[in-house]
Amino acid sequence: MALQRVTDSMMVQSSLAAMQGNLAQLAATQQQLTSGRKLNVPSDNPTDTTSAMRLRSSIADQTQYSRNAEDGDAWLGQADTALTSANDQLLRAQDLALQGANQGSASQTSLDALASEVDQIKAGMIDAANTTYLGRPVFGGVTAGVKAYDASGAYVGTPGTVDRTIAPGTTLRVDTDGQAAFGPTGDSVFDHLTALSTALRAGDSTGITAGIAALKTDQNRISAAQTDVGTRQNRIEAADQTAQDKLLSLQTSLTSVENVDLPKTIMNLQMQQTAYQASLAATSRVMQQSLLDYLR
Amino acid sequence: MTSTFSTLSTALSALQYNSAALAVAGGNIANVSTAGYARRTINAESVAQSGMPAMWSRSVSNGDGVKVGSVQRMVDPLLDAQARRQHASQAYLDVQQSSLQRVETGFNEPGASGVAAAIADFRTSWHDLANNPGSDAARSEVLGKAATLASAIGTQAANITTESGDQRTRILNDVSEVNSVATELASTNKAINAASLNGSDTGTLLDTRDQLALRLSELTGATATTRADGEFDVTLNGVSLVDGASAGTLQIASGITSTGASDGNVISYAITDSSRTTAVPAGMTGEIGGVTDLLTTTLPAYSSGLDAVAQQLADEINTQHEAGYDANGNAGTAFFSYDPTDPAATLAVAITSTSALAASGIPGGGLDAANATAMAGSTTVEASYQQLINGFGTHVDAVNRATTSQQTLTTQVDTSRTALSGVSTDEELTSMLTSQRSYQAASRVMTTVDSMLDTLINHTGLVA
Repeated sequence: MALQRVTDSMMVQSSLAAMQGNLAQLAATQQQLTSGRKLNVPSDNPTDTTSAMRLRSSIADQTQYSRNAEDGDAWLGQADTALTSANDQLLRAQDLALQGANQGSASQTSLDALASEVDQIKAGMIDAANTTYLGRPVFGGVTAGVKAYDASGAYVGTPGTVDRTIAPGTTLRVDTDGQAAFGPTGDSVFDHLTALSTALRAGDSTGITAGIAALKTDQNRISAAQTDVGTRQNRIEAADQTAQDKLLSLQTSLTSVENVDLPKTIMNLQMQQTAYQASLAATSRVMQQSLLDYLR
Repeated sequence: MTSTFSTLSTALSALQYNSAALAVAGGNIANVSTAGYARRTINAESVAQSGMPAMWSRSVSNGDGVKVGSVQRMVDPLLDAQARRQHASQAYLDVQQSSLQRVETGFNEPGASGVAAAIADFRTSWHDLANNPGSDAARSEVLGKAATLASAIGTQAANITTESGDQRTRILNDVSEVNSVATELASTNKAINAASLNGSDTGTLLDTRDQLALRLSELTGATATTRADGEFDVTLNGVSLVDGASAGTLQIASGITSTGASDGNVISYAITDSSRTTAVPAGMTGEIGGVTDLLTTTLPAYSSGLDAVAQQLADEINTQHEAGYDANGNAGTAFFSYDPTDPAATLAVAITSTSALAASGIPGGGLDAANATAMAGSTTVEASYQQLINGFGTHVDAVNRATTSQQTLTTQVDTSRTALSGVSTDEELTSMLTSQRSYQAASRVMTTVDSMLDTLINHTGLVA
């Protein structure tokens, strides 16, 4: 700048401007430090603001996907337990049927005993098929009721799927179709157990043999359903893990976009503080000087 | 031959001049912190012989002392014009910046309480309902989150409306200030004219004139031209506002009613003088120009962007909701309601009963949740909203940057002005000392002449 007159008001103005500027920077840094955020309004960095909004939206989504997956996992877990129990009971029923078939000459009393145990097994299997999760039968489709099968073993559920969204645009079925696992009405495992019980009571060896064959088919169906549930459970657990991993990386990204770099900001604060103190010191020294100090 | 007594009168002129110089220094020191005061300098002029030398009329005088040549006001009209221009641009940006920053802070973006967060929460609540379609709690949550979302959008719309209202009131105040400043400038012009005719000092009047013209420029971006006698004529985008001693009246021709409400038209201005009313072309700067641009462009653009977001949200959600079936097996109805003329401010949840939420994808009750799942993914409004916020943020960022660089220019021209016109106490003290010493020396000249005359009159012919 060319040589110019330096006047009192010029000194006052430039000192004030310098101190104001330093203070404004200090205040901005202080706001960043106290709020912990470097993005406080969109204009701080419009691009980062958009990123932050996207990241926040994705974080909400992934959190929800993880919750959905955990809920679905619980559904599938219940179904798995129920099917395992049904499978065990069915094995026992097969044993009983074989006993009945081998005791062709046995007394009707012992066959009746076998028949009543088969009845018990049927009741137990209906209980397993009515397993609920949070009040909803896991084999009942979308029924509003609490049972998938009535006491006689007839299907009372509403066909339909219960889905969980586990990733953007990806849903996974978490219920199990009762009629696929336990057989369609009229040809279900419960009908077969009723028929077996009747055959045992009647000492009808042909009926018992037919029952053994039918139970074999039922067991295959239940095993297949169990495998299916297991596969889906694996998938949903993997989806949950993926969602949680994504969540972590999204949160890391959000922090780096939105939050201050603490050491760097503290260094900045130190530097700005020093600059402010320097401007205060310089102002107090220069403004005190006057020709009056040297005139008598 | 010089007269014996002429030296006395030379000394007297020095005494008079130095008193005047001391008075000027005193005046400068007194006004060291007066806003708009331009320092005065006194110019000395030596008094030469009178008349033209001629063959029979010649002077042998070596000068007859000193007199006050002029008292000059140290200003540069070019710098003053620059200052007016820069201050107008500064005011134009400052007023926009402070308003936009207020609006922007009201967004709460990015954050946990803005519209974006409300959209995410709304979507999450549909997922929860999909997980648990039979639960009244999940259904209430959806309604609650929807109400939060509608009110978040409504709050933003209300913020813009409030800000627009405040800015319209500001224009009303600014216009009345323009008129009172213009009237004052006209009467100052009249005084300057009178003072320069009778030869009085116009310095203080010119200080006032410059201050008033600067304020007019800050308010409207007006430009001033100087007349020969120092009067200022002020024009606003080519339309005369102050013409010598007469001032026109700035009026709001359309856009704002006298109570500060909007009349729905574009804001425009006109100036009425004694004979006619002339429309002011658009494109003023200064505070009024800044606020006008804010009210004409920036705020309405954001407002209509927000309206589009609200409408898109409501339409998308309604379409999907109407595709589902509620808890009683009836087809879903519109989820959000709004007034198409003002969607953002009137957005509201139309569903009142939890059982009316269409979570099911199949008619006839049941706990199917296919539509709830679809609802969760049915809106793409987030992207539109992000774009809106990004656009506004970028605009505010640009205004912030422009304000900062304008500040540099304004400071520079202000510094140049104070460098020229500001009072330096050290300088004034020095000129005080000079005056004092000169006064003392002139007094000594008088004493010497006196003692010479004393010798001549009282001691001539006497021998000690």
